[in-house]
Amino acid sequence: MTLPKGFGSGGTGGSSSADVERMIGKRVENMTGMITMSYWAALIATFAGTAAGYFYYPWAYPTASGHFAFIVLAIIEAIGYIFCVKVMEEGSNKNSNGIVGASIAGSVVFVLVVVLFVGR
Amino acid sequence: MPALIPKEVEIQRLKKIWLIVIAMGSVAASVEVDNFVDGSLHQTSIRDSAFTPAHWWLYSHFITLPIGWGMAAVYDRKVPILRGPNNSMNTGLKMTILGYLATMFTIGVNEMWHFWFVEEIFAVPNHWMFNMGVVVAFMGALAYVVRVYARLVELGAETPGENPYVAEMYKMALEGKLYSRAIP
Repeated sequence: MTLPKGFGSGGTGGSSSADVERMIGKRVENMTGMITMSYWAALIATFAGTAAGYFYYPWAYPTASGHFAFIVLAIIEAIGYIFCVKVMEEGSNKNSNGIVGASIAGSVVFVLVVVLFVGR
Repeated sequence: MPALIPKEVEIQRLKKIWLIVIAMGSVAASVEVDNFVDGSLHQTSIRDSAFTPAHWWLYSHFITLPIGWGMAAVYDRKVPILRGPNNSMNTGLKMTILGYLATMFTIGVNEMWHFWFVEEIFAVPNHWMFNMGVVVAFMGALAYVVRVYARLVELGAETPGENPYVAEMYKMALEGKLYSRAIP
């Protein structure tokens, strides 16, 4: 197959697996670490948002309401996280169930601690 | 449909788009929840300020979504099969970004309106463009997502849906008939 400019053997029509790898760059099945970091960043940002709600605006956003929002958003983020990792690794021999399991368990503990002990 | 880039490269690029799609889907799910939170707030307090938490939650989506889908559009250029008419942006992506841009600009319109009127019922005119923008964006996003998924099916990276209605939608997308017969 003829590859885009800058790849391949310069007009002779050949392409090697090294060219294909160079076009791909970082493969999606190797992005689990980045996806996990993004998930935790999103979860902590969500906590910061709801915390600002029940510490600075308790009249508009009572603690119970903030906790409801935090729980629902944590569930939405967790579903997205699991979906991202599973879809990116399907068809490859990668398996990050341990990392995903630990991450989800950790976030369940984090959410429970926030809901039980944080707020007014 | 002929492949213009190696199959493995295309699958990897489509999956990178898929990552953005999942992130944007999560954000859209979140804004749906905040519709209830915001509505619940406004049943007890009318217009308070732009900076109540229910509004931070709502408005931050209307900035995140156009920017996020814009990032999808920038990366989308690397997948030739997703090009729109005359090598322009994919039609579904265009609709999505235009829809969410409308909601983004409506934040300003809405603030201006509420400077004078505190009424916060769903149907006041300043809210119309929020709702219309979101509907246009959802239609476009659905078309784009189905197109990306259908291509992953065509490349053998995903298993086609078993539901006959869904399967028919994939088939139409693969034949370039999802939007219309004229616009691929």
